[in-house]
Amino acid sequence: MSADTEPASGDSAGLPNGFVSHGDSKTRRVYETARSLHSGAVKDLLSLGVCERCIFRLVAVEAFDSDISSVSTSTLRSWLNTVADETGSSESGCSRICIVCLGILQFVFSDAKKELVKSDSSSDYVARITDLVKQDRHEFDSFGLEVSVPSTIMENERAVLSYLKGKYSTEVWLQRDKISVKDALKVLLLDQLKASLGAESDSSSFHIRLTYSKASDEAQGASETTHESKRRKTDADNGSNCISENSFEKVYEPCIFSVHCNKMPIFFSGRYFKYSRNVSQSRWIIDDERMGEASVEEILGGNILPACLGDSYKFHAAGREDIDVRMLGSGRPFLIEVQNSRQCPSEQSLKEVEEKINNSEKKLVGVKDLKCIGSQCWAMMREGEAEKQKQYVALVWISRPLEEKDFNSVSSLKELKILQKTPVRVLHRRSPLDREKIIHWMKIEKIKGHAHYFLLHLCTQAGTYIKEFVHGDLGRTTPSMGSILGCRAEIIQLDVTDVKMGDS
Amino acid sequence: MEIQKPEVAKNPEIEDTIELTKQRRHDEVEDCDEQRHKQHQAEEDEEDELRKLLLSDIGELPISPPSATQVNFVSYFITDFTKSGHDQYIYRHANGLCVIGLAPTHIAFKDEGGITSVDFNVGKSDRSVLKVSGKRKKNALRSESNTALCKVSTAKDSYIVRCCVKGSLLEVNERLIKQPELLNSSADREGYIAIIMPRPADWTKNKESLITLEEYKEKKQMSL
Repeated sequence: MSADTEPASGDSAGLPNGFVSHGDSKTRRVYETARSLHSGAVKDLLSLGVCERCIFRLVAVEAFDSDISSVSTSTLRSWLNTVADETGSSESGCSRICIVCLGILQFVFSDAKKELVKSDSSSDYVARITDLVKQDRHEFDSFGLEVSVPSTIMENERAVLSYLKGKYSTEVWLQRDKISVKDALKVLLLDQLKASLGAESDSSSFHIRLTYSKASDEAQGASETTHESKRRKTDADNGSNCISENSFEKVYEPCIFSVHCNKMPIFFSGRYFKYSRNVSQSRWIIDDERMGEASVEEILGGNILPACLGDSYKFHAAGREDIDVRMLGSGRPFLIEVQNSRQCPSEQSLKEVEEKINNSEKKLVGVKDLKCIGSQCWAMMREGEAEKQKQYVALVWISRPLEEKDFNSVSSLKELKILQKTPVRVLHRRSPLDREKIIHWMKIEKIKGHAHYFLLHLCTQAGTYIKEFVHGDLGRTTPSMGSILGCRAEIIQLDVTDVKMGDS
Repeated sequence: MEIQKPEVAKNPEIEDTIELTKQRRHDEVEDCDEQRHKQHQAEEDEEDELRKLLLSDIGELPISPPSATQVNFVSYFITDFTKSGHDQYIYRHANGLCVIGLAPTHIAFKDEGGITSVDFNVGKSDRSVLKVSGKRKKNALRSESNTALCKVSTAKDSYIVRCCVKGSLLEVNERLIKQPELLNSSADREGYIAIIMPRPADWTKNKESLITLEEYKEKKQMSL
């Protein structure tokens, strides 16, 4: 090897004839590694069509680290050509797609428009990736980098390694474990990507995923073509199939590359009020027709989503009420889960969302205490569900006039046990069971001028069907308001006035 | 908060100090009270708001509002089913379930003393012991429209009540065994006989043999 190709101190690297006009310590180290590579193996791999960085991965004894990212593809090519005593120019070599990594470590890919995109250096590649990430408009301080590559790459690598083992079985450099294409790519890009994006790297809630997929069925690489020859050698020697150079076919197309950014879902909690008797809790559509004029889910989610610039939302509530039942008093706890939000809304913007909903013209739904909440949100939801008590006010009609003694017969019943068969109105989709529930207390409030109507205040165990408790559900809920008062009772309307949570 | 009455000191300086302390404590108590008062007021305001909401929504209150059955079910009838005078109702809920029972003109009600006993042990099995379980309604008896549900007896005679609708038998009203008088007092509510879940296709076919409430009323007027 001539002294001309040694790196000297100076400025930029990568002259086509193999001269390197400068070397900082990193470049120098990589050059030293290149010089120490087994020349026979390098020559073989170059002629097979394996790319420069894959050759470093597979043949070098030294660990594959980020120093390599500072050297351009063409420079690496010229160094390897020298090692292999090849006189061909670096240009013609560079245009072949690697049969192992399918162009991934060559920074060559097909974009969405199926056009070939090449980057000679890692910094250029990082710049392209940064542009794609910025297009998605996410705000982030840190990111986790994920890489997804076609599965054939592992098989390609195995095939090439088998071939090398066949020829150079005793060599030391062959015995070491080789860094995978995925990990090698991360090593090459991570530091520069961090600098370019101005963010830290960690296992955070925001992920940048680099996805490489096979362009077509022909771009298989080494593995597919050697399958035939492997099958011919059945049991024989384990792993010592002699794969010849001729069994590796060219790769014509690089992978299709795309960048996807995804943020883990963020959660908002609060309490909602439902003032309308024609609004369902969640979107309710039967046969393409909406039931009710709106839903709590869509009003809340539809206003929060734009403030987050998210993709979609999910609505969770601590219990539910029928479409014709209002939710008043302290409100019902809920969670909105936002998928892939681009920004976390400020306290101010959340206040504005609250005001927008509360001051809307139709006043169907209200909201309070809207705030961003972390992983403790599920514990909070569970609190509001099964164990807690709920408070209601029902407008009840009875078939005989209200009497003085009724007030006492009702309010004297504390912790009343009732047995409810699954109500007919939900029997089509729920198990037929007998559910024991507790009515903690009840109170009758007279309505002026109406002897057959009264307001029934009651506090019950979660899961109690109030309407059925009032009208008796054909006698399938006992006791019922009617049986307690000894007459027929009907429920005209119902409001939820309190959903107790924890100590509140 | 308790204020301990300080002892009157002889030393005027100390007296002053004690006086000051007393004054401060007094202020603190007032603050506490004020806070509590404010909280009370806020709670009362909230309750007032709630009451206003509750009462504002009470619209017209008719003397006799429609019953839950009338609101949630569509009434159908079938007359002279397999035998003359065997009139039954089929109340169909919006979710497809059908509640079956004796119509007011059923021949059994004409007997003196009304219905005295109900027996679900008819056909091949005792309908009152069936155990339907799960959302998919496992073990439900698949019945045809003429499958027998029960036998109602009066002092004079006994009559077979049939399904009238083809479908899965989800439930029979076993309370009728101990309280057959429910049929006499409220056959259209607590005295229902059974609940059947028909398949949509079966219901469409079945519906043709049923008549509406209006048609039922007309028919029965004519025969009176």
